[in-house]
Amino acid sequence: MPRANGGWFDPVPAYRIATLRVCLAVVTLVFHVPKFNGLLDAYTASAFHVAPAFAWIPMPGRGAGLALMGLQHVAAWALFLGWWPRLAAWTLTGAGAYIMALDGEHYSHNAHFHLTLLALVGCAADGVSLRRLVLGADDDARAAAWPERLIRLQLAIVFFFAALDKVLSPHWRMTGAVLTAPGFAAHAMGLAALQRVNQVVLGAVPGVLSLATIATELALAAGFALPALAALAIVLSVGFMTYLEFMVRPGVFTWDVLITLLLLSPAADRGWRVVHAARGLRPLLARLDWMRRLQWVVPILPSSRSTRTVEPAKASGGLHLVSPRGRVFCGLAAVCALPAALPGPLLVGLVLARFGGGFLAARGLGRWDDLPFLALGAYLACRLIVTARAAAGRRDSSPSDGCAHANAGQILDPSRGRR
Amino acid sequence: MPHATESALRGWRRHAAIAFITLWLGVQIGVPLAQKLDVETPFAPYRYARYSWAMFSRLVPRYEVSLYRLRPHGAPEPIPEIDHWVRGYRSPEPMPMRALYVSEGEVLDRFGGLVAAIARERRDGYTYVASIRWTANRPQGLTTQELRADAAR
Repeated sequence: MPRANGGWFDPVPAYRIATLRVCLAVVTLVFHVPKFNGLLDAYTASAFHVAPAFAWIPMPGRGAGLALMGLQHVAAWALFLGWWPRLAAWTLTGAGAYIMALDGEHYSHNAHFHLTLLALVGCAADGVSLRRLVLGADDDARAAAWPERLIRLQLAIVFFFAALDKVLSPHWRMTGAVLTAPGFAAHAMGLAALQRVNQVVLGAVPGVLSLATIATELALAAGFALPALAALAIVLSVGFMTYLEFMVRPGVFTWDVLITLLLLSPAADRGWRVVHAARGLRPLLARLDWMRRLQWVVPILPSSRSTRTVEPAKASGGLHLVSPRGRVFCGLAAVCALPAALPGPLLVGLVLARFGGGFLAARGLGRWDDLPFLALGAYLACRLIVTARAAAGRRDSSPSDGCAHANAGQILDPSRGRR
Repeated sequence: MPHATESALRGWRRHAAIAFITLWLGVQIGVPLAQKLDVETPFAPYRYARYSWAMFSRLVPRYEVSLYRLRPHGAPEPIPEIDHWVRGYRSPEPMPMRALYVSEGEVLDRFGGLVAAIARERRDGYTYVASIRWTANRPQGLTTQELRADAAR
């Protein structure tokens, strides 16, 4: 199993960085390319321009602008499909940096961060295309670890400087003035109520929450820099980014940070064992297993609770999973556990929901930009049901989320190996 | 499987990677640090700077810009074809804007440059004006600033 404590130039599973690349490419396709092309379109259609960041930068005419727009689309699709991904990533980075340098108003922190990630993804030589990621059954592709390491350090640098800036800014520290300023995004009914509660809390103790924000960002910097604190980085990132997205203002920065959490996940370890899946579900799971975390195993079940003999399990409905730590999940609990095993497709789905919803919302078709919040709500509701079931002990006395099996050892036959 | 891609970096590739990593980290740490500590004026008060990961770092200044032209002692008139100069701009009604990632000086430079460029092009005897009214979190100085350019015939 890959560990983050290896050398910078050691080979690590290539599926992690390839999954990261696909997720970043989706964000690029649905957000950055349309945004940058819109800026370029407006720039080249205008007669007046401010001086670019550097005097030697050529200003594009209409024709060059249109060509660059097309090039960005081609590069983003190539990055997504994994065709010459390094060239595609650096093309997008160069084009984005050029557009930002043309006019100071083209700059944004989220674009800067996204381009930085694209440049670092462009350093990875994983050789895993989207087709191979989805259709391949291999788990032996390797790539040098250093791009992954550098991306993690980049995250640490970003959060460190974000915290340092808040320490220096008079609008943070104990005043928390930024936290109480207007500018919160409007949301639909349920989320709006939560947001109002949040604003009341912010108004009551802005200084405390200002310091808490600075502390959180410093902790995130440490979490991304130090492999031993990876779990802290995951928990804090998910909590902090979810808070920013739903309670403050939706932004692409949130999604880029969540996507980089893929680097803190194991890959190609086949750590999650699928004991049983419905006939139609198995090929679907195999296609979604971009990180090569699933392993199909032959289950055995106690034929009787009173005897120690075992027999192969019969198809018994829902999904049965065993986690890398030997915890058994069945049915709804297994569905709730899937995001940990299949984070790549999950992130792609959420990004499409977020930005597809934003696209519809921007055209006055309703608050579809709250779709990720609804997905999170549905997920939490499922978790609540699973927890309630386990607490009520309806199914049996198993500690494994209501599963009919007592523990992994009773349902797995290690001698039979992988299917 | 022919898919396997072993990747142990050796030789010049390894040296190149080390050089790239060193350069990358040097830039990524050095540039924001120099901007935050403001090496040119070390004891100056805090100021926002791009390329320094200063997300949500300040209260964003908001302002309204009115672009119009005047004859001597005349009333404000709309600037013809303002959309040709900068797509999306309107005249003479005020346009609400935010100085999200730019400084006060950059805002003034932008609109001062715009009215100067229009005046230079048209040479019609009008005075071209950009009136900027800071509506929230305004920087130091006046609430309203006017930038003028005479389009001498």
